[in-house]
Amino acid sequence: MSMQLENVNNGLIPRVIVCLDVANGRVVKGVNFKGLTDMGDPVELALRYQEQGADEIVFLDIKATLENRANALETVRRVAQNLSIPFTVGGGLNSYADVEQFLNAGADKVALNSAAVKTPDLINQIAEGFGSQCVVVAVDVNKDADDDYAVYVSGGHVRTELDAFSWFEEVEQRGAGEILLTAMHRDGTGIGFDNELMSKVAKERNIQVIASGGAANEQHFVDTFMAGSDAALAAGMFHRGEFSVQDVKKALRQQQILTR
Amino acid sequence: MNWQPRNKTLGVINTKAGNLFSLFASLKRIGFKTVQINTSDDIKNNSVDALVIPGQGRFGQVMKQLTATGLDNSIIQWVRQDKPLLGICVGLQVLFEQSEEDPGVRGLGIFAGKVERLNSPKQPMVGWSKLNSRVGSMNEKVVYFVNSFGVKQSAVTAATVTYGEQFVAAIYQGNIWAFQFHPEKSGEVGEEIIKQCLCN
Repeated sequence: MSMQLENVNNGLIPRVIVCLDVANGRVVKGVNFKGLTDMGDPVELALRYQEQGADEIVFLDIKATLENRANALETVRRVAQNLSIPFTVGGGLNSYADVEQFLNAGADKVALNSAAVKTPDLINQIAEGFGSQCVVVAVDVNKDADDDYAVYVSGGHVRTELDAFSWFEEVEQRGAGEILLTAMHRDGTGIGFDNELMSKVAKERNIQVIASGGAANEQHFVDTFMAGSDAALAAGMFHRGEFSVQDVKKALRQQQILTR
Repeated sequence: MNWQPRNKTLGVINTKAGNLFSLFASLKRIGFKTVQINTSDDIKNNSVDALVIPGQGRFGQVMKQLTATGLDNSIIQWVRQDKPLLGICVGLQVLFEQSEEDPGVRGLGIFAGKVERLNSPKQPMVGWSKLNSRVGSMNEKVVYFVNSFGVKQSAVTAATVTYGEQFVAAIYQGNIWAFQFHPEKSGEVGEEIIKQCLCN
């Protein structure tokens, strides 16, 4: 059993990622992308999760505006100066120049969402300019009434006509290094990741897939890694103090899933 | 060497191949003084104690910059004088003779061998993996890797890792240490590895 599980990820340790949804310089949490509650200071929280053993921090500026750009860059700089684990930044990145600004501020990777859909060639350009490892494509999907997965942009407000599975394939071919896959129909529900979806994408694609949306306890991480997710991301369950990253790691170790 | 970080200045070579923010931040947190090296003169003028070749960019791009600035020869001279050198990721790779990433580009050739495309289950390899090493500070330690290329075998191997296949995770000879992983992104473990290698 143990050997088998060690091979689930072929030698890479499934990553437990903490997401900081940031709006106007504060970490916030909403349900289904709506109704925001203040959760604290981004730098303080990033460091707390690093100490708890988080494998990566994702910082999503969910209310990114041009006016707020300088503020966001300053927050990224402060986080990067103090953090010694990988750090991904997303939200409001629309151009190559935007990406360059955030990488120069200390982000290790950028997450592209709406911009990748609008200008898919941006994925190629960033992969060429900075390397595939810098490019995370964030995809927000929602399960429709007919059980199809629709891709949404603009913070989950706008439905696109993209076929989700063709889009995953396209972002890989364009040079994305990872897919951050958020199941909007699970976000804020606390019923766990959409493992049917995560498993399918993680197996089909030759790049890392980060499961997102729906986690509320440590067992949800165990379940998604068992299903084949390369990494899994949560926000609220950590910010609310219900679970620490240590709690999640402990549960993973109890199931013989590798942790660091 | 028996250094203390506080007394020492690390010269970080500007390979113009990416952002050095994380590396500088990490070295400063450990306690080193740091200076950016753009030319050979920067090494002399700053009484640099150890050189660092950072881990951003691709093989050809980094070699092109080193050749254009003459820093390729400075590094080779530095090594001949048995002075401390630290290489990270592509900074390990350029110590070898060539790379499949950019065929036809000559590396520094300090070590025999070539850099090859790795048969990783997923590419690029992005994530944490456990080292296998004869060096106490590295053995069984979990560190952060980001790469598609690597050295599969070397006479100067200090640590290996397995992701799909086994490859070289660290090399060591004399005063040269180099890592395929990113110690500056590997939390406290990574900072401890840098400290142990440069201060012991």
